[in-house]
Amino acid sequence: MLEPVMYEGGVYKHNQIVELVEDLGGYILQKNVMQTGVVLLMLVPINDMAIVEAKAKDLLGTIMRAPLTGTEIATVAPTLAYHHLPHLDCDVAEFLRKKGAKTNMVGLARGVGKRICQLSAYERDLINEHDLAVFILGNYEHCIIEKSKRLYEGIEVPIIVTGAPELKVEDVPNATAYVGSFGRILHHMRHSEELRTLDKLADVIGNVLDNVRKELAKDPPAIAPPRIKKEIEDQVQEIIDSLHPLPVTLQMNGARVKLPYDEYHEQIENIKFVEGVTMKEVARVLPSKMRNFILIRAKPKSETGFVI
Amino acid sequence: MEQLETFTVESPDAVGAKTTKILIQDVLADLSLNRVIGRLKVFVDPVEPVFIFTALLRLGTPAIRLKDFAKVEMGSLGKDEVKIELQREAFTVKLLNKLWEKYGKESIEQPDKKIIIVKVDPVKEVDTVRELVIEEPQQEVLDRLIDAIALRIIPEGFRVRKHELSTSHVLFVASEDTLKPEWIARAKEMLESMRSEKDA
Repeated sequence: MLEPVMYEGGVYKHNQIVELVEDLGGYILQKNVMQTGVVLLMLVPINDMAIVEAKAKDLLGTIMRAPLTGTEIATVAPTLAYHHLPHLDCDVAEFLRKKGAKTNMVGLARGVGKRICQLSAYERDLINEHDLAVFILGNYEHCIIEKSKRLYEGIEVPIIVTGAPELKVEDVPNATAYVGSFGRILHHMRHSEELRTLDKLADVIGNVLDNVRKELAKDPPAIAPPRIKKEIEDQVQEIIDSLHPLPVTLQMNGARVKLPYDEYHEQIENIKFVEGVTMKEVARVLPSKMRNFILIRAKPKSETGFVI
Repeated sequence: MEQLETFTVESPDAVGAKTTKILIQDVLADLSLNRVIGRLKVFVDPVEPVFIFTALLRLGTPAIRLKDFAKVEMGSLGKDEVKIELQREAFTVKLLNKLWEKYGKESIEQPDKKIIIVKVDPVKEVDTVRELVIEEPQQEVLDRLIDAIALRIIPEGFRVRKHELSTSHVLFVASEDTLKPEWIARAKEMLESMRSEKDA
């Protein structure tokens, strides 16, 4: 099991942490150097956490658990109108990004109203490609409950709903979790109270994702998603020239590769691992609903019979 | 009537009413409409569903016409022209644009900083030129107000709408379903109750 963590410390000697994690079989997912500080998002084998923590202490840095690392989250707004953007939706997306997740914003075509709201097949499939969906709803209890009855039809990933009233999860149909004190806010969320609400949202999402990880661990994927990312970066040269943000975006059970499917899917299917297997033996390479990208889904151990 | 003397949001859902109130404040501040609205009453019932927005307005100066800041008279004897003598230069750019648009660039001359000659039949045109509207501050404010109410405040799903708009008041009733006459009656009542409030 790999543990998602964030390292914050000085630039001086931070390479020692990077090398230690790589030697232990972990992965560095992102490195941000800001003047004299550095933030590393990484996956560390859970059994070796103590060693990494000790090293971080030596370097006067801190290790924090960042459960959103290596996940792709959809923040869904009923539409892309002034009612939802730029505030609130962008605030939520940006905040989750700071916590280590990759967020994509989805604006529905006909998501408005409590009686007339709809989700198209394309939107549903697109949202299902993510690890989790955050639906950002409005001010009124009645509307949130009525809307929840029909809007999430066909969505298989966990659904987090936000709104103004403080509701229990049981009261919101089809939702995995509910976070209150949001609602339709048309100003930038920057007061301490509002920041606490965003923190709460991140915690709730972290818990939900931890549960998903536990479920996944029962029948682990035949290949760890960060391994997919590493091999693609090593073996497919064109990914280096890709100007998309995060050309290989990690998900909990696979990855999204931002290269055209038609041209590259065979090359990716035939990527060889040192263990002697190819990518298509351990994962499905599928066309993504997002542009013409490639979506890779790791096969479970029960299907392949081995884990590399 | 001072700005926002009355500002109430009524709703069976107390939390919703509170957040809606903050939302309206944000929108009015964003579009700098705070000074425009004197009294404001909103009623929301998400179960029905209905959204009623009523407000009394205090608009600024009315439309500015050419005669307000210039002398307009027939030009020199025997020539087909209207002479405009400006008393304030603040609106010159806007005025020239309007005149070009209406009569074409070739028929406008400006021999002096404060004198503009329009080459048209003075008998027919002198009154039209005199009444030419140069700036409509009220209309601009009303446009912004409609933007605020119809596009930002009223919930998006409420597509069925009825509105009344004048220089003294604004009234919006919106719903997801067909509007009921009692809602419109209630909106009118809210408006009346605000009108009858004594001027402080």
